[in-house]
Amino acid sequence: MLFKLSLTGIKSRFKDYLVLFSGLVMAAAIFYMFETLATNHSFIKANSTLALAPFIFQFGSILLAIITFVYILYANSFLLSMRKRDYGLFMMLGAKSGKLGQLIFIETLAIGVLSLLMGVIVGIGLTTLVGQLLIQRLDATALHFSAFYGPALVVTVLFFLVLFIVAALMNQRVLRKTPVLALLKSTAQPAHVQVRPAKTVSQVIFGLVSLAIGYVAMHQIGTLQMLGIAIALVTIVVGTYLVFNSLFTWLLTRLKRHTAFASRGLNNFTLAQLNFRIFDYNRMLALVTLLFALALGAITTGMGFQKNIKLFTESAPYDVVLHDPTASIKQAATKIDIKKQNHYMYKVGANTVYFSRDQFDQQPVYVQKPWRKNQTTTKYQLTYGREMNQQNPLLWQQSLQELLLPRDSQKTIKLVDQATFAQTSGRTQQLTTIVARDFFAELPTIKRVTQLDQRHNKVATSYDMGSTKYDAYQMMNGLLSGFEFMGFFLGVAFLAMLASCLMFKILSGAASDRTRYRMLDKIGTRQRLLRGAIAKEIGVLFLLPGVVGVIHVLFGLQMFTTTGLLPHAYHDLWLPFLIFLVLYSLYYLLTVKLYQNIVLKK
Amino acid sequence: MIAKAPIVAVDAVRKVYGQANEQQYEALHDVSFQVQAGEFVGIMGASGSGKTTLLNILSTLDQPTSGSVKINQQEITQLRGNQLADFRAKEIGFIFQDFNLLENMTAYENIALPLSLQNVSAKKARPLIEKIAVTLGIDKILNKYPTEISGGQKQRVAAARALVHEPSILMGDEPTGALDSKSAKSLLDTMTTLNQQQQVSILLVTHDPFSASYCQRILFIKDGQIGQELKRGDRSKAAFYQDILGVLGRTEQ
Ligand SMILES: Nc1ncnc2c1ncn2[C@@H]1O[C@H](COP(=O)(O)OP(=O)(O)O)[C@@H](O)[C@H]1O
Ligand SMILES: [Mg+2]
Repeated sequence: MLFKLSLTGIKSRFKDYLVLFSGLVMAAAIFYMFETLATNHSFIKANSTLALAPFIFQFGSILLAIITFVYILYANSFLLSMRKRDYGLFMMLGAKSGKLGQLIFIETLAIGVLSLLMGVIVGIGLTTLVGQLLIQRLDATALHFSAFYGPALVVTVLFFLVLFIVAALMNQRVLRKTPVLALLKSTAQPAHVQVRPAKTVSQVIFGLVSLAIGYVAMHQIGTLQMLGIAIALVTIVVGTYLVFNSLFTWLLTRLKRHTAFASRGLNNFTLAQLNFRIFDYNRMLALVTLLFALALGAITTGMGFQKNIKLFTESAPYDVVLHDPTASIKQAATKIDIKKQNHYMYKVGANTVYFSRDQFDQQPVYVQKPWRKNQTTTKYQLTYGREMNQQNPLLWQQSLQELLLPRDSQKTIKLVDQATFAQTSGRTQQLTTIVARDFFAELPTIKRVTQLDQRHNKVATSYDMGSTKYDAYQMMNGLLSGFEFMGFFLGVAFLAMLASCLMFKILSGAASDRTRYRMLDKIGTRQRLLRGAIAKEIGVLFLLPGVVGVIHVLFGLQMFTTTGLLPHAYHDLWLPFLIFLVLYSLYYLLTVKLYQNIVLKK
Repeated sequence: MIAKAPIVAVDAVRKVYGQANEQQYEALHDVSFQVQAGEFVGIMGASGSGKTTLLNILSTLDQPTSGSVKINQQEITQLRGNQLADFRAKEIGFIFQDFNLLENMTAYENIALPLSLQNVSAKKARPLIEKIAVTLGIDKILNKYPTEISGGQKQRVAAARALVHEPSILMGDEPTGALDSKSAKSLLDTMTTLNQQQQVSILLVTHDPFSASYCQRILFIKDGQIGQELKRGDRSKAAFYQDILGVLGRTEQ
């Protein structure tokens, strides 16, 4: 009977349950998504040369577990607040609190298990989708990556089961301990925040010191290794929370006291809204900040690796080099949008390769420049035949050797005059160098032509890399695309978690906000003002974490520069930041529109 | 001497619920009446007779299917968007049965809302709020939140919020409906005082004869039509109460 009653209770608040349910499903799905990488040791080993990588993932796991834990606690309190009134009523009607405790225990667990099941399914789908998409888009090699991964499944299921059992026990306890009257009257009591200066100041100081320690630990990652990550993890989580808890509360109180500000339009109402939910908000701001930093950090490093690949690829002077191309290969090569194309003749002897010097005077060739300090990629310079003398034989010799087929690339290069070249025995062979207008735009064609050339000249598949852009690309892509993949994959995962956190937080307040905004409408508030108030309130939830998150990332990138993993991590930082901020702003606008529609719709 | 224009003029108002293709229900048929400035008028009827429908139209929360409503000589049925919001904010004070206070703001902040909507500075707002709070006897609880005060006090706060910006008319939809009899009586007394000493025009909707007996004039509404009108004149409240009961007795048969 009671069971039936409680089911009708669920039915009547179906929309709220949907919000709760989808929030939990997303949390489980994203946790699974992360674990498919984190628990997959063969993937990590195969895709990163960094010994630290497995630990980074372990700590990432822990961090995500903490975030998920807080998220679930929050979702659970939302569930409980929905049920308190109903259960209070049942108690009034004579139901025993023990029985009701059992009921809420079952209900929590049932919702948990159901969303866990759905979450794992969604998670596998999401992982497949994101994985495939990234591997295709990035031309990445993600060895041993699989969307359906047993250990990840086990970890996710166990973790969430434990969480839900804890949540169910907590709910049971709360229901047994709270007096009936409090249950009945539990429509959100306002939080009275007393700002005690001493406490605020000590929290600010402690928070900032924690953050500073975390930043230093990230900087010293080279010497501290695992310990550095562990320290940073704890201090940054704690520091972020403390800073928000003290500064945000303080700021609200200040603004409230600033009557000129507070008494304008709906400002006081917005402040009251923020104040009313301050405990939720403080937790939420810290959570969103961490997710923001993780997502932005992951995407920034992903792009950093992508940039590295680009940088090395583009440092090579030629896109394709053809050796004695047949008519069909020449035909294929015309498909490339060519910027410059040169043809050179050469003859191959037993230990020597002959070029006529004249042709380099007519068509200069790219030769390496001497290597300077602080240089990360090889620099080339167009060089004429007459400049290829004894002063720096190594450089032009090597540069020309790299243009030849692997089987000829160990031989000495000799530059001779036209007449000598004609008399030299051996077949005249043609070397065609091609500079395309845009390597990455033409990658598929370039790849095809290069492969045709290699097949035609019977080059072994595991050949020594030459000096074309394609060779450089192959090498760097093989080396770094695993990292790149991880960066983007995790970036997407954290971004999704961030989005679902914010969405859940916001939707869970919609029902009670509806009545408030409705009332403001009734006493004659202009629509624009109502919309503005919503935009402001949600804006705080987006803006503050954004600012602090960016600071976290700026310091966090130290981990990559000091270890040399991404020496130029800070170069061109605006691009990933801009992309991320655009995405984030779009999501903000979407959320605001959605919320305005839910809350203001008549 | 020309008669002063009425503060509320309702002319041939009809309200039909439901779209043309659905089942329709006519909640108001051809309602017409007027309220003069400074009057205390009651609209009385059984549950389902159309009182809330009528009051929602008068307070611009809803629109009539046809007919005209003028408040302070302004036609309100054509108002839309910002004009509508501004009209509500300036001209109308509304007390709801279920208080409709914002539970996340203190009583003071709740009362201040209509003023800050009109961008009255905090400095100018304070004396206005304090004055109305004294009038309504809630000056001691201004810093409390709605969850910390009684139902009667909540309704007084709601009344203060409805009056603080000095609207043309105060409307109440069964404002005493959720109050105990003592709080109800005290609120009605206050409304009478406001009406008599500060010439606040009041339109009160109720199904309760006791509340109605505080009015100077009562319009009886039945099945969406205004039937009888009853004036108090010089009679005492108790005598008027008996008259009301009499009318109710006759119409019920
Ligand atoms: N939104 C609506 N849609 C359809 N019918 C309605 C609506 N609101 C009220 N009614 C009907 O109109 C009639 C009058 O309702 P109402 O004005 O609320 O009465 P009162 O306030 O006098 O009790 C009732 O029969 C009610 O069922
Ligand atoms: Mg009604």
